Amino acid sequence: MNLDKLKRILILCVKYLVSAVIIAAVIGPLLVTLFTSVKTQVQLGNTSAILPPALGEWTWDNYAEVLGAKLLPDAFKNTGIILVISIFFNVLFGSVTAYCLQRFEFRFKKLIMGCFYLGMMVPTFVVEIARFKVIQSIGLYNTLGAPIIIYVASDLMQLYLYMQFVSKIPKALDESALIDGCGYFRIFYRIIFPLLMPATATVIIIKIVNIVNDMYVPYLYMPKTKLKTLTTFLMNYAGAQQGSWPTLAAAIVVVLIPTVVLYLIFHKQITEGLSAGATKE
Amino acid sequence: MKSIRKSRNRFIVLSLAIPVILLLMFVVYPSVDLVAMSFTSWDGISPHRDFVGVGNYVDMFTKSPDLWLSLRNNFIYLAVHMVMIPIELSIAVMLNTKFKGTGLVKTIAFLPFIINGVGMSYAFSYFFSPVNGAFNDILTSLGLSSWIQSWLSDPKVVNFVLASVSAWRFSGYHIVLFSTGLTSIPTEVMEAARIDGANAWQQLWRIQLPSIWLVFSFVMFDCIRGTLQCFDIPFIMTNGGPGYASSTFTLYTIDTAFKYNSFGMAATMAVAIMVIVILVYLFQNVVLKKVFRQ
Repeated sequence: MNLDKLKRILILCVKYLVSAVIIAAVIGPLLVTLFTSVKTQVQLGNTSAILPPALGEWTWDNYAEVLGAKLLPDAFKNTGIILVISIFFNVLFGSVTAYCLQRFEFRFKKLIMGCFYLGMMVPTFVVEIARFKVIQSIGLYNTLGAPIIIYVASDLMQLYLYMQFVSKIPKALDESALIDGCGYFRIFYRIIFPLLMPATATVIIIKIVNIVNDMYVPYLYMPKTKLKTLTTFLMNYAGAQQGSWPTLAAAIVVVLIPTVVLYLIFHKQITEGLSAGATKE
Repeated sequence: MKSIRKSRNRFIVLSLAIPVILLLMFVVYPSVDLVAMSFTSWDGISPHRDFVGVGNYVDMFTKSPDLWLSLRNNFIYLAVHMVMIPIELSIAVMLNTKFKGTGLVKTIAFLPFIINGVGMSYAFSYFFSPVNGAFNDILTSLGLSSWIQSWLSDPKVVNFVLASVSAWRFSGYHIVLFSTGLTSIPTEVMEAARIDGANAWQQLWRIQLPSIWLVFSFVMFDCIRGTLQCFDIPFIMTNGGPGYASSTFTLYTIDTAFKYNSFGMAATMAVAIMVIVILVYLFQNVVLKKVFRQ
């Protein structure tokens, strides 16, 4: 009996030990960055990288320098504009497309579905080799329009989420509204869309994370300095810092904070939304 | 009835028109154009493209040793991710035993997956840096200073370092996926097994693993697709260097196009990735599902 209890306690200890290792492995590298961001160049040389500077000797100059960077306000503004416009259209097109594909049978449906599947499968980076010419030829190169239209047209994760949600809404709801003389547009905007709200919330949060984190599209299509996003601002800033780790670390922290805070608030929606595709195929 | 059908069709056409046009312009057309481009020697600028037949495909196999070196590096990423799968699965099984704090562990483990990849890559560049780098400091404090290497400039170790960073980023995601799969097993099933006297090991092999087979295959194929297209970690941390020692297939393809203006050749490589990704996808969704159902 006692042996059994001992065994159980031992197993629990192992579980907590493993948990501690996991947490340390994730947080460790982030803590190092945080510590570095409050060090002076001198402290960087004479304290261990895994330790913070002595209490009372933390410097905030690195943050002052990053926050004073000329391009940072633009980066926040550009990222904000791209987010608002692309997510608005992602929600609008995503919900209505999912509704049509889930509810109705019509000509070319299979073909259209096939195109959307292709859009989800196409390798993300290499397709830019051909897309580049399209963007250039319609005059969107070096404008905010380039990332916006690419995110709206080809970032399709919302379709899957919306389709799952639509399939859970009983068809009888549409039918009774139809009998009451409601048109399809009204049915969608008055009945279906409000019911999709939880999906919309998840879509918005996940899109914010994806778009803020995206590097390659803004890097490739908006080389102009005025058009940096948060991520390309960081690349630009890192290029200019050449080895000054404390200021670069501060810039990393500034860029990481928005998505990390968003995650800490909405971690449930984010984990559920991002794992939806895997567990119920 | 007829008017309803008419208004229904109008609704479908009006709703789908713009999304479908955008999809055709920015996804379908570029994908088709990629294939067309792969048969030319286009430089990305000149107005006409010279048709070279399968020349690029022949060159890809015979005259691009660095591309194959890069592909080998992709396999190093894949190998590291594959080694992680049993570990991730064990952690998920452990977290599924419900002790205090599992929620917190899962929340933190998932964090790297949503963190800005560029910021994270720079953070790890410093972590592994030869001067004042945290990793070397950790080794030193453990008395292992003889293990210190040039983590990011030695061709023999650089890919393993980058692949570990990639594992750091995706393992938590996989843990959460496995864990979601395990939680969805009805408690009655596990309960019944326990009453019938199945031990933890039997429960794992007979009930838990077979039930999460779908998640398992998703994670595996996600690893194959993800490592095949791996780009941003080496792009930021080493830019493929030294030389092409830490390049990847996608990085090499992108360089061929935008650095060396060989769009035709790059398109050929892009088609190769596309074909592999689609084959993997079909294998997972058609072949495996059929086998599994039987």
